[in-house]
Amino acid sequence: MDTINYLLQGFEVALTPQNLLLALIGSFLGTLIGALPGLGPANGVAILIPLAFTLGLPPESALIMLTAVYAGAMYGGRISSILLNIPGDEPAMMTCLDGYPMAKQGKAAEALTISAVASFIGSIVATIGLILLAPLLANFALSFGSAEYFALFVLAFATLGGITGKNPVKTLVAAAIGLMMSTIGIDISTGQPRYTFGMLELFEGIDFIIAIVGLFAISELMFFIERHMGDGDSMVKMNKLKINVKELIAVLPTSLRGGVVGFISGVLPGAGASLGSFLSYTVEKRILGRKNDFGNGDPRGVAAPEAGNNGAASGALVPMLTLGIPGSGTTAVLLAMLVSLNITPGPMMFQQHADIVWGVIAALLLGNVLLLLLNIPMVGIFVKLLSVPPKYLMPIVTLVAIVGIYSISHSAFDLYFMVAFGVLGYVFRKIDIPLVPIILGLLLGPEMEKNLRHAMMLSDGDWTVLWSSGLSIGIWAIAIAGLVLPYLLGPLLRRKMHKPS
Amino acid sequence: MHINDRLFGVVFLLLAVAYGWQAQQFPEPLGGSESIGPSTFPTLLAVVLGLGSLYMMIRPDPDSGWPVGKTLFELIGVVVILVVYTALLESVGFIIMTTLAVGLLSWRMHAPPLKAFLTGLISAVVAFVLFNYGLELTLPNGILELG
Repeated sequence: MDTINYLLQGFEVALTPQNLLLALIGSFLGTLIGALPGLGPANGVAILIPLAFTLGLPPESALIMLTAVYAGAMYGGRISSILLNIPGDEPAMMTCLDGYPMAKQGKAAEALTISAVASFIGSIVATIGLILLAPLLANFALSFGSAEYFALFVLAFATLGGITGKNPVKTLVAAAIGLMMSTIGIDISTGQPRYTFGMLELFEGIDFIIAIVGLFAISELMFFIERHMGDGDSMVKMNKLKINVKELIAVLPTSLRGGVVGFISGVLPGAGASLGSFLSYTVEKRILGRKNDFGNGDPRGVAAPEAGNNGAASGALVPMLTLGIPGSGTTAVLLAMLVSLNITPGPMMFQQHADIVWGVIAALLLGNVLLLLLNIPMVGIFVKLLSVPPKYLMPIVTLVAIVGIYSISHSAFDLYFMVAFGVLGYVFRKIDIPLVPIILGLLLGPEMEKNLRHAMMLSDGDWTVLWSSGLSIGIWAIAIAGLVLPYLLGPLLRRKMHKPS
Repeated sequence: MHINDRLFGVVFLLLAVAYGWQAQQFPEPLGGSESIGPSTFPTLLAVVLGLGSLYMMIRPDPDSGWPVGKTLFELIGVVVILVVYTALLESVGFIIMTTLAVGLLSWRMHAPPLKAFLTGLISAVVAFVLFNYGLELTLPNGILELG
C-alpha cells in the first residue's frame, strides 16, 4: 500500500501548475524531436538539458520536463515513419512496415491515431509495471555492496551495445575512452590532479553536458551537411480522419501484448526499445497467425511496434532509477541530468529522494495523457512542423544548444571544447565507435572508481573480492554474456530485423 | 578496405600507452595506507583500451567513406563557422554573430541566401529577447547598444 501513497504524493508534485505546464512543454518538444528524422531522443534530451538549467528549475521540475520529452520522443518517432517512410528514431523502424502502406492507401490519419492509442496503452502498461517492479528492485539493490556495484557498472557497459550490436569491442573501446575522460581532473579521494596538463579549466573535470551536446548535436549537424539532407523528404498527404471505435477496440489486445513485451525488453539489459518494437511486432505476427495482413497496412502492425517501443521506454527507466544503470542512450542522458542535479541515482534515491522518483513516475502517467491529447487532435501541428526543411531547422537547433551551454558558464572555453567534441563525435561515428558508452563512461566513471576503491579497501587489496559473492558472480556472468552473445545471436537477429524492411 | 579501424586501432593503442604511462607517474598517496591509489583505475582502463585497440587492428570492420573534396571543405567550413562564432561572440555580440552563423549554416545547407539570413536574424532576435528578458540571462550585446 506504500506504493499507492507514494504515487499519490508523486501526483501532488506533478500536478502543480508549473510542473504541469513543464510536462506539457516537454511532451510537445519531445514529440517534435521524435518526429524529426536525424534528431533522435538522446540528442533531443541532451540539447534540452542546458535549457532546463538556464531556466533554473528545481530538480523535480527539470526531471519532469525531461521525462515528458523522453516519453514524447517515443510518440513522435511514428509520425515520420508513417508519413515519410523514414523512422524519426531507431525504435520507430518497425512502424514503417505497416504505417507507410496504410498512409499510401489514404489512411494516414487512421494510422496516426491508432499508433497514438497503441503508444498510450503500451506506455501505461509499462508504467504500471515500473510502479510495481521498481520499489522491489530498489529494495533488493540495497543489499548490493561496492563489489556488486562495480560489477554492475561493467555489466552496464558490456550490454549497452545490445545483443543486436554490431561490434561489442567497439562499445568497450568507447566505454574505456569515456571512463578515461572521467578521470580528468582532481581525484576526489587523494586530491591528486590527473591528466589536467596544468590547465585550470580541466581541474574540475569535463562537464558532460558539454560533451553530450558536442558529441551529439554538433556531429549531427556535420552529418546533415555531408549527406546534403537539407531539403527533407516528400511526405504522404494527410487525409480526413474517419475512424470508428470498433477499429480502435480491435487493436486493443495487440497494444496490451505489445506493452508487456516492450516493458520486458526495456527492463532487460542489452535489449532496449528497438528490440522491444521488433519483438512485439514479431510476437504479434505469430499470435495472429493467418489472420494477419502484416506488411500491407494492417492496423495491428502499426499498433504492435508502437506499443512495444513505448513500453520499452518506460521499462528502461526501471534499471535507471533503481540501480543507476541506464539501459539506453536516452536514459543515459536522463541519468546525466540527475547526476548534474547532485542526485545519485540508485536504490538510495527511492529513500532519499522519494518525492522526485515518484514525481517522475506520476509525470510519466500524466505525460502520456497529455501526449495522447497532443497526438490525436493536434497531430496536424507536428505534420506542419515536420515539413519545415532541416536546412532551416538544424542550424537553429544547433545554435539553441550552443546558447544553452554558454548561458550556464559564460565561458568561451566551454564552447571551444564543445566544438572539439563535435569533431570527435563525427570521426567516431564514421568509424562506428558508438557515442553513448562515451557519455556513460564520463558519467559513471567517478562512481565506478569509488566503488572499486571501497571494495579494495575492505579486502585489503585482494582483487578476488570483486567476484567473491554469488550475486557478483551472477552479474559478471551476465556482463560476459552481454559481450559474447552479440557474436552468436547478433547476425541472426540483425538479419531478421532488416529483412522485413 | 579496412584501413580506418587499423589506423584508429594504432591511434587508440598509442593513447592507451600514453595514458597508462602517465598514470604510473602519479605519486603514491601519503603513507600508502590506501590499497588502491590514484593510478589503479586509470591503469585498468589503459589495459582495456589497449586490448580493444589490438582487436580493432586484428579484426577491422569494413571502412565507411570519408568525405573528400568539396564535402570535406564544407565540413571544415562548419567547424570554422562555429569556432569564429565562439571567438567573436562576446566582442561582436549575440545578435550579429547568431544571424551570421545560422544564416551561413543554413545557406550552406542549400537554402536561398536571403531566406537563410532572414531565418538567422529572426531566430537570433527571438532567442535574445527570450534569454535576456524572459529568463534574465545576459547574452552579450557586443557592438550593438541595447537596453
